[in-house]
Amino acid sequence: MNIKTTLALSVLLAAAAPAARAVQPGELADNTAAPLIAGREYMVAPNHPNQLNVLDLADNKVLKTCALPDAFGPGSVQISPDRRTAYILNNHFGGIYGIELDTCKVTFSARMSLDAEERAIAVFSVALSPDGKEIYTVQNPSKLHVDRYEVQAPRLAVYKTDAGLDARPARTFPVPRQLSLMQAADDGALYALGPDVYKIDPENGKYEVAVPLLNWKRPGYGAPDVLSAWAMQLSTREFSALYTAPKFKDGQQDLASADFVWGVLSIDLKTGKHEIADFAPLTEIYFTGTRSPANRSHIFTVLNGLRKYDIKAQKLLASASLEHAYYQVNLNRDGSRVYLSGTLQDVAVYDAATLEKIANIRLPGGDMSLSTAQIFVR
Amino acid sequence: MKHLKALNQKARLLDKAVAEDAVEEVVAMSTVAGCTATVDPGWEVDAFGGVAGLCQPMEADLYGCADPCWWPAQVPDTIISYPDWNKDAPAADKDWRKLDSVFPKDAL
Repeated sequence: MNIKTTLALSVLLAAAAPAARAVQPGELADNTAAPLIAGREYMVAPNHPNQLNVLDLADNKVLKTCALPDAFGPGSVQISPDRRTAYILNNHFGGIYGIELDTCKVTFSARMSLDAEERAIAVFSVALSPDGKEIYTVQNPSKLHVDRYEVQAPRLAVYKTDAGLDARPARTFPVPRQLSLMQAADDGALYALGPDVYKIDPENGKYEVAVPLLNWKRPGYGAPDVLSAWAMQLSTREFSALYTAPKFKDGQQDLASADFVWGVLSIDLKTGKHEIADFAPLTEIYFTGTRSPANRSHIFTVLNGLRKYDIKAQKLLASASLEHAYYQVNLNRDGSRVYLSGTLQDVAVYDAATLEKIANIRLPGGDMSLSTAQIFVR
Repeated sequence: MKHLKALNQKARLLDKAVAEDAVEEVVAMSTVAGCTATVDPGWEVDAFGGVAGLCQPMEADLYGCADPCWWPAQVPDTIISYPDWNKDAPAADKDWRKLDSVFPKDAL
């Protein structure tokens, strides 16, 4: 962020909050015990050095900042169905912590390594059952021998959310390798993103391919590529990820002449149905794309620029330059505002209709890095 | 694989596995799982072979790549070996001068 931007931010903050002093870097908001208000819309955004910010979206300000135990990274958050607890994969991918949002108290913790002779991490994989009673994660363990490390099979670990601190899994099951993001559907099935999307029964560990991705047989297309580290809990109850894929000119399947396209995979967590839809040519990189809750055909994408596309028409509707890259694009409940997070220390707010900037919400502390921000209504 | 030539031990293992139809034994993970499992080749280029599509500025992406060991050749392994590398530098764009090189400690 340059000096001009910093000055502009200061002016914005001063204009938006004349009575409040802007929180300075390294300083925690002083109202950690402030309860959240029912019916109000909030955003949680973890950041370095190791904290969880709660933003009030009614006035686009930081309400509170909770200090987190152990160490930061990656900061993948899931909000409990009752909107009272944030579960965060942290401690260098090695632990999951439950943080009571009203009080900032740590109510749950679990280490991914289950004994002293193994080292296990979870790669962005944390999800909650629809009733909020269980936490799911895929742990990737290595056995620590005296003279070597031995890679072990990954396991789905199921924890009870009321298991308290230093919890042990209630159940574990073997699962395919390379699983990362997960979301549970309304019927209890767990969808996990890997080379393909798997549907797992967390009661008995049985799994099947729900949506082939790397192994899709989509006529006229080559294998897709997916990069996603952000399991967003959308108000539309969709589990989604962007993909890029080569679209061949003809049956020769020549990569040199193929068109590369952006598309979005959406799994409806209410019904289990999925949709794969191209929406744009691959002309730039996006890290996330989120469909609008106000219009499912509208998708917002972000990395170095903010874009708005119409999926059905495959048309660019609006575009905005950004002060710096952001990883994650999210929308508020009615789809009127766009929230950009990740990378550095500010959440940028844009008007969803015009892509005019509304505000920068400066977080206390440091970079959000790869953390997952979530928007929810208490 | 005809356009790719194996240059290191892991790549040669993969070539051998392809020949033996045993790719699952050595296949690279599609997601990063710790620095030793990362196979990103080194300095990063964008999907178009240039650098214009990389995050702007570079500092915006620094911890996003260091936290999951995305850049194992450029920054210390912050997951296992050097978890405190950036503990005094929470904001990469402001604190980058505090980031330093690391050196393996002598084994006893």
